[in-house]
Amino acid sequence: MNRCVLIAALSLPFIASIASAQGPPTPKDTAILKDFETRVSAYMKVHRAAEADVAALRKTASAKEIASRQAELAESVRAHRPAKQGDIFTPEVAGEFRRLVAMTMKGPNAARVKKSLKSAEPVELSLKVNDTYPERAPLQSTPPTLLMNLPKLPPELEYRVVSRALILLDVKAGILVDFVPDLIK
Amino acid sequence: MRRRSLLSILLSIFLIGECAGMLALLSISAAGQQVSKVVAFPLKAKSVRFAAFGDNGTGGQEQYDVAQQMVRQRVMFPFDFVLMLGDNIYGSDTAADFRRKFEDPYKPMLDAGVKFYASLGNHDNPNQRLYKPFNMDGKRYYSFRKENVEFFALDSTYMDPVQLAWVEKQLSASTAEWKICYFHHPLYSDGKFHGPDRDLRARLEPILTKAGVSVVLSGHEHFYERLKPQQGIYHFIIGNGGQLRYRDLKPSQDIAKGFDTDRGFALFEVAGDELYFQALSRTGEIMDSGMIQRAAAPKAP
Repeated sequence: MNRCVLIAALSLPFIASIASAQGPPTPKDTAILKDFETRVSAYMKVHRAAEADVAALRKTASAKEIASRQAELAESVRAHRPAKQGDIFTPEVAGEFRRLVAMTMKGPNAARVKKSLKSAEPVELSLKVNDTYPERAPLQSTPPTLLMNLPKLPPELEYRVVSRALILLDVKAGILVDFVPDLIK
Repeated sequence: MRRRSLLSILLSIFLIGECAGMLALLSISAAGQQVSKVVAFPLKAKSVRFAAFGDNGTGGQEQYDVAQQMVRQRVMFPFDFVLMLGDNIYGSDTAADFRRKFEDPYKPMLDAGVKFYASLGNHDNPNQRLYKPFNMDGKRYYSFRKENVEFFALDSTYMDPVQLAWVEKQLSASTAEWKICYFHHPLYSDGKFHGPDRDLRARLEPILTKAGVSVVLSGHEHFYERLKPQQGIYHFIIGNGGQLRYRDLKPSQDIAKGFDTDRGFALFEVAGDELYFQALSRTGEIMDSGMIQRAAAPKAP
């Protein structure tokens, strides 16, 4: 409860500034975001089923064990989920995310967020759903203001920026769950 | 910035005397010209002693040089733990990489019981949180306490509302006299290549100032920079633990001290209300030193 209040308090100034510039979400926006949440929940069921089939990632002094178990989990997720781009970010969901991201990228904090993205070491990658995020590529940090305006995710998933795309990354398995190309402008 | 030179062989003369209650060490050049005054560590009983570096995990010779210099310094300044400011393992992260980029270079310290507390950088696999020698307890962000100091290791690559709420809650609940935060991306920087993370600053800094955080340590920029206090917080960038971006610092009124021509690390001692620091190059030159007096705790609203 306290955490919710705190998050709400942190978000208020930003939400207020956005609301005045863009207007509140319509019932249609809300329905699309509900659909996104449903799709994320469905993915998490797959993730948990995949996890149950392999040895668990756990705290260990063995870097070899971490690497091999992450790879096994990624393989297991792929086996459970023959996915394609747009399964989670459907055209409607992608459109709603374009609206949400545009609030950040065109709102009063836009210049600051763009500078933040630039300072975070931008990444260029060819993206394919279910691929492992390349271990040699850095993970560009996602600006906090952008994260404050996107739907909450379970801890296993993160929003990350790759060039101009927003990706959904399974951080435990290290795989690309879905992405919206050409979103960050 | 001091440089090594064949013509200016530095003689270090210890002047043992009281100087604001501490030992003073003067470095004198061969020509007899005083080049700097170095604040030495008081080495007080029960003080908290630690080292810090970031951007170290290259596996290159320079990282090993820094590690060896730390071992040499530890003979004189026995620190108990090391804060890792992110980019702990560059590139691939197989078992061989962990060996070459962490376990081998720091083996003498690991064998001596020195603990390493890592934070995540943009080149790090988030599953490093599970690697026990990094002491992250399976978490992307965490805190731990040593005597009168509480350390907060944050994940600046993904500062979502949940983490921001956690930071605020943990900081406000902390009863430690000193609150030190460390994370990869600097809130302030005079680097030409990256510069500061302004959005992170806008979201995080109000929380840190409100909670009375004294010191922030970061990496990401591949040099050493100590900034003049910003909003009452002392910021250090120590991102040259293995990497170096040569002469990347631009002139700025905010720089208290900068060093961008070699790798290095920093040492800290918290003794009561005083925090002493030294920044060293991999050859052991002291590039910066000083003492920070703890400010009075902010009053409750």
